[in-house]
Amino acid sequence: MDQGIVKVVTGAEAAVYVQARSVIKKRVPKKYRAAELDIKLRKERTKNEAKIQSEARRAGVPTPIIQEINGFDITMERIEGPSVRSVINETIAEQIGEIFCTLHSAGIAHGDPTTYNMIVSHKQIYLIDFGLASYDRSLEARGVDVHVFFQSLEASHENYRALKKAFLAGYTKKCRDAEQVLKKVEEIKGRGRYL
Amino acid sequence: MIVLGLEGTAWNLSASLVSDDEVLCEANSAYIPTSGGIHPREAAQHFASNIIGVIREVLSSTDPRSIEGVAFSQGPGLGPCLRIVGTAARAIALRLSVPLVGVNHCVAHIEIERWKTDLSDPIVLYVSGANSQVLSYRQKRYRILGETLDIGIGNCLDKFARSAGLSHPGGPKVERLAQEAQRYLSMPYVVKGMDFSFSGIVTAAQEAMKSAPLEDVCYSFQETAFSMLVEVCERALSQTDKSDLLLAGGVGANKRLQKMLTVMCAERGARFFAPKSEYLQDNGAMIAYTGLLMLSHGLHTPISASGANPNFRPDEVEVLWIKGS
Repeated sequence: MDQGIVKVVTGAEAAVYVQARSVIKKRVPKKYRAAELDIKLRKERTKNEAKIQSEARRAGVPTPIIQEINGFDITMERIEGPSVRSVINETIAEQIGEIFCTLHSAGIAHGDPTTYNMIVSHKQIYLIDFGLASYDRSLEARGVDVHVFFQSLEASHENYRALKKAFLAGYTKKCRDAEQVLKKVEEIKGRGRYL
Repeated sequence: MIVLGLEGTAWNLSASLVSDDEVLCEANSAYIPTSGGIHPREAAQHFASNIIGVIREVLSSTDPRSIEGVAFSQGPGLGPCLRIVGTAARAIALRLSVPLVGVNHCVAHIEIERWKTDLSDPIVLYVSGANSQVLSYRQKRYRILGETLDIGIGNCLDKFARSAGLSHPGGPKVERLAQEAQRYLSMPYVVKGMDFSFSGIVTAAQEAMKSAPLEDVCYSFQETAFSMLVEVCERALSQTDKSDLLLAGGVGANKRLQKMLTVMCAERGARFFAPKSEYLQDNGAMIAYTGLLMLSHGLHTPISASGANPNFRPDEVEVLWIKGS
């Protein structure tokens, strides 16, 4: 503890503690849900996060290095820098588009791609929070990722139209089927509503 | 100011008069399907047969000349139902020569509760038959932070309840059966950021019913679906740094959902509010009150723009009555 451990955030699924060079993510029990479900979710997500985050990194997506897994706790490399939410511009959005194309091409859907879950460090965009990620190559999964990202732009940024456009420009560079993904996004948007 | 409000988006037809200070009166006529779920045409027929009755009832206590505006639910909702209340509202507004105002049903749910609870800036969980959304106010609009990727929680509950042979509305029956459960059965838990999906859970529950006691299926269904909702609410509180959570919509009457939200908020030091059931369910007072807010901020709806809007999104409404950002 001499290095100083600071709790920085209590999220919806984990408490995050920061040390000098690493970050510890503790998936604490949530009392509101049934114990069986609670354990199942924490186990699944801890395993998912460690495994898929490492795999994404191998595929060329910048992510923190996983250092240790201990029960429901993951220790990983600390990436220093602001969250994308506070610094996003069109250049960054385009970079994010490229990264998501790489991620999706590796057969991985992030599951929670909001601007909070991206860090800018040394001119690179790091993706974090792979707890809801899955191995899924389907258009549906990729469409949901893009939809969730767009929603997070719309909820927090006035210039979301330009940011979406820049993201798509980046995504389309290497992902030739971007148009189909976009079609899926439109379809998802139209669901769950009255007709 | 006194405003007449007409609500009629799906099942409850409701008329109400509100003043700046209080709800003066309300009259309701609920459509209850004889079998199955809500049938849009039958619901609209029920509305058409009863709308004069509910309006007459609220007007009987007040001099119509004191009414300064007519508000109506413009959407989201079932098209045939929306057209009935829209037509009635236009006729009365023209007759009384007062402004007409089309109200977003979802925004109205939020506004009546902000009025009744004195909450200034909460995260809102809005759960009804067709709608399931997490909303937060920012810069003149209620922003949708997350929502269902397929069907609303209420429809999901109803669909499952119908296949279990429970009559409409199924939610309260599922809630009661769940209290008798013995064990938790695993069901699909789908959360994507602040979005969620319920379609898989209906199929899983229908499958589970074949071999497990209905009580256990009801319990597992509720636990799984509600945990998803609570998780996204917690994510919304965490990401926006807000500290109040407000529950709105008919499914909000479920005591188990309320309990789970209470526990989650207590654990992270947030405040949780669930209003009285008369304001959780669809009601005319919320339309009248929101109409009053809009009219007093210079907003009204010309006849030419007063058509039904079945897909009316809450973030299309410019919210001028909240100060600050």
